Amino acid sequence: MSALLDVQDVHTFIGQFHILEGVSLRVEEGQITALLGRNGAGKTTTLRTIMGMTPPARGAIFFDGRPIHGLPTYEVAQLGIGYVPDYRAIFRHLTVEENLHLAERRKGDLKRKADFIYHLFPDLARLRHLKGGQLSGGQQQMLAIARVLVPDNRLLLIDEPTEGLAPVLVEQLVEAIRQLREQTTVLLVEQNFAVARHLADTFVIVDDGRTVCQGTMEELANDPATVHRYLGVAVGGEA
Amino acid sequence: MRRYRAVLIALAIAVVGIGLVGRSMKPGTLVATLLSGLTLGALYFLIAAGLSLIFGLMDVLNFAHGTLFMLGAYVAWTWVQNPHGLLLWAGLVLAVAGGSATAAWWLNWSPDRRPGRWTRRWLVAVGVALIGVTAWQWLRWPQALTLLLAAGGGLAVGLGAFRPPVVRPPHRRLVWRGVAVVGLLLVTVLLDAQGPTLASAVAGWGSNAKFVSAIVVGTLAGAVAGALMEWSLIRPLYERPIYQVLLTLGIVFAGNEVARAIWGVGAKRMEKPGWFGQPCRSESLAAWVYEQCASVTVLGRSFPTYRLFVIVLGVLLFVALIVLLRRSRLGMIIRAGVQDREMVEALGINVRQVFTLVFALGAGLAALGGVAAAPFVGVYPEMGLEYMLQAFIVVVIGGMGSVPGAALGALLVGLARAFGDYIVLSGVSLPWMEKAVRMSPSIARASTVLIMAIVLMVRPAGLFGEEE
Amino acid sequence: MVEPGTLDVRAKQATRRWNLQGLMVVLFLALFPFLASLVTGEPPDAGRPKFWQGLLIQAYIFAVYALSYDILMGYTGILSFGHAMFFGTGVYATAMLLKHAEWGLGQIFLAVLLITFVQGVLFGLVSLRVKGVYFAMVTLAFAEAFYILSEATDFRRWTGAEDGLHGIPVPDFINPTDQRLRFYYLALGFALIVYLIARRVVNSPTGRVIVAIRENETRAATLGYNTFAYKLIAFVFSGVLAGLAGMVHALWNLNASPAVLSVNTTINALLMTIIGGAGTLVGPMLGAGVLQLLGYVLSRTFGPRWPLVFGVVFILIVLFLPYGIVGTWNRWRAHSSTKDKPSLSSK
Repeated sequence: MSALLDVQDVHTFIGQFHILEGVSLRVEEGQITALLGRNGAGKTTTLRTIMGMTPPARGAIFFDGRPIHGLPTYEVAQLGIGYVPDYRAIFRHLTVEENLHLAERRKGDLKRKADFIYHLFPDLARLRHLKGGQLSGGQQQMLAIARVLVPDNRLLLIDEPTEGLAPVLVEQLVEAIRQLREQTTVLLVEQNFAVARHLADTFVIVDDGRTVCQGTMEELANDPATVHRYLGVAVGGEA
Repeated sequence: MRRYRAVLIALAIAVVGIGLVGRSMKPGTLVATLLSGLTLGALYFLIAAGLSLIFGLMDVLNFAHGTLFMLGAYVAWTWVQNPHGLLLWAGLVLAVAGGSATAAWWLNWSPDRRPGRWTRRWLVAVGVALIGVTAWQWLRWPQALTLLLAAGGGLAVGLGAFRPPVVRPPHRRLVWRGVAVVGLLLVTVLLDAQGPTLASAVAGWGSNAKFVSAIVVGTLAGAVAGALMEWSLIRPLYERPIYQVLLTLGIVFAGNEVARAIWGVGAKRMEKPGWFGQPCRSESLAAWVYEQCASVTVLGRSFPTYRLFVIVLGVLLFVALIVLLRRSRLGMIIRAGVQDREMVEALGINVRQVFTLVFALGAGLAALGGVAAAPFVGVYPEMGLEYMLQAFIVVVIGGMGSVPGAALGALLVGLARAFGDYIVLSGVSLPWMEKAVRMSPSIARASTVLIMAIVLMVRPAGLFGEEE
Repeated sequence: MVEPGTLDVRAKQATRRWNLQGLMVVLFLALFPFLASLVTGEPPDAGRPKFWQGLLIQAYIFAVYALSYDILMGYTGILSFGHAMFFGTGVYATAMLLKHAEWGLGQIFLAVLLITFVQGVLFGLVSLRVKGVYFAMVTLAFAEAFYILSEATDFRRWTGAEDGLHGIPVPDFINPTDQRLRFYYLALGFALIVYLIARRVVNSPTGRVIVAIRENETRAATLGYNTFAYKLIAFVFSGVLAGLAGMVHALWNLNASPAVLSVNTTINALLMTIIGGAGTLVGPMLGAGVLQLLGYVLSRTFGPRWPLVFGVVFILIVLFLPYGIVGTWNRWRAHSSTKDKPSLSSK
């Protein structure tokens, strides 16, 4: 079975620093895969490398069987990959609606998806004429996710969606992402192990820029030693 | 709120300044000086707006912006004086553009048939050589031959240098683009077949038609030059910003020399269009509509009507730019891109293409400014640098990347220049001095720098700028 | 990556080699009038040897000017577009003091030193508040203000307005026309001394902080250095050197014209630095020589159109030779030497 996204032994440099020293991972269609690892392990760089923002020096990346390493970012995105960076990257001077409009890849995308998006994030419907910069942190995160739902993306790369959010908002977001599973495939970077465990079907752990292990979330939950070693948390903590 | 505070402070300073100076002025003189300031401000705005947008979006400080201003003025002048020569050269540009547009379309239509790597290099080399030879021998070889060669060169360069998209655009869009390319080719052929006829027709036009068409031609020339500049010279250097600045400086240097080589050193005069050209003085704007006088009475003083036109032009373009930025998708992309280019690209938008477009837009605006300036400041090689320096001051005052900032800065600098000129010419008299000290306009020119220094001390990012 | 220790040793060896080569170059330049006289058969202070010395004198003056610019651009990483202000101030101060006040050379030297110092502090305090291209624009505007003022008719009595000052009464013992040979050695010595001082400063602790600011200003600030003060030092130092170059320029040309304050003068500094190689001391000096020679050759070949050719050459250099002559040479040598000795490159 061929995976939707197949990253093969990718090496990435930022300046002269060797950040990724061999990351490999597979994301199967229709699943949520959690990308786990400590701070500075290379999770964000992995997502950025997939997006072509920090192109890999070595290795290969296939999306739906077609090589995408070396493509400019916008073409990677046009192939159907949506990216939600960890810094949210909402356009502050654009209204919520304009933020969503900007994400259209074809005319009418937003019209088609508006109901679904506003149903998923009712807050956004209420705030649609507000500027992005006027939203709260949680609302911005919702907008960032809503934005990649506007076009028909087949894969979403979501970087630390729950970071720095109040528990109530975390719950709301987790629920939203769970509903996404029916629509698309997700590669999720998540520090909060409880959230990851709750959401993901499979996992990948990177450490020091290398893939350490990959498997189903079940397996990981039953392997506290690995969790402790690479993530530094005890299994069983609930969100 | 902070933004408005900055504007209020700036306006307060302007009002107080004008009030202080204006107390000693007759109302007519005051209004005339105000209008002169607005005229200058409108011109500065046209240059500064593009400069500011380009910097805001792509972090390129385009020193060659003044060169584009100058280019607009020269092209307009040539269009009025010698449309035939200009049309001949336009044929060359159009042929090359038509060739490369065909290449771009072909690559979009069947992306799989892109030539191999070495073939591409050869194509570019051969294409550039072909275009070079054609440009060299233009007007010497038979026209049909040079036309074909130029188009072939454009086609080869396009096939070699363009990259087909990974995702094929929708079929309908491709068909429409195909129609546009065919249209461009047709225009090229038509222009070459009917060039002399068209040229003599233009030569026979009245001054108004000439002027309006000169605005279109000058703006287009600037936009095309800007797009070409970005695509060929600036694009390879986005990773090395300092060298980008140096490169644009090189373009200034070379551009000035090219202008001197083609048009000579001296200043050229461009005639005012008939609407503003009758040697008389209208009593009011309503009377001007019938009489089309060169000047109009404003509170008992005469003021050139052409300058009023420049003010109106500046205001219109300001409004148009704001509407473009607020209402269009391109404007949305620009506003978003000023903040975070990478994220815009991550949404699937080809930012580089937008860069070229914005560069062309800014260049077109500057060239338009050049055309508008030509009838009242003349056309000379140094005008580019002269106005660009003022535009720099405007942009520093207004804050990079903000069109309203550019407008406000242009207004301030324009007014400062006009009132400064008035003050130095009429003399400065302070209570303890026996007689007023008269100075030359140079002092007023130098003093705009002072405004910039003050603004920078108070708000280093400019009035509308955002601190990083 | 190279281990720090080996790098030091290699750097020392390289410096020694450079020193030797440099000495030979200086020796050659010192003997140049006589060598030229040997080759042409004309006396060293007449005919072609005299003319060639003239070219070299101008090159030495620009070498100092370019060097001063590189201290800002290459070492501190500040892009200034207003360097002509200092150069022009040096020129005008010298010309005006000689013409109107008839001061002695020593007094003028001190005056130029003081004026450009004060100028550097004042304008540095204002313009260093902003960074990057803003700084470039602000300095450009300041320099342009000086240019405009130099052309202003209000000060015709002192500056000669757009005509400038001509026939500056330079003391007889260094009159560049009659005492060409003496002036040649004066200019050569001037360039040499400035080079040595600059090298001293660049290699001093202050110089190292300045380079650290270029590499990463935030980090230098985190380490506790007052980066503003260091940038101001670099700005003032560079300005004073440029002013001194301007002083010799005035003595050599016997005139002062607004052109020395124009943007073109700044662009010249940039060209020389880029052509020679930014971030090195020898580079800009070499660049000054190359530019002087190139200008001479191009103007003979292309006549009045030579600036156009020149602009194109500049664009090509920026596109394809970004490190300049010395920079490219250094890189090429570093590259080939690491290839020779793979043991030096670790992990």
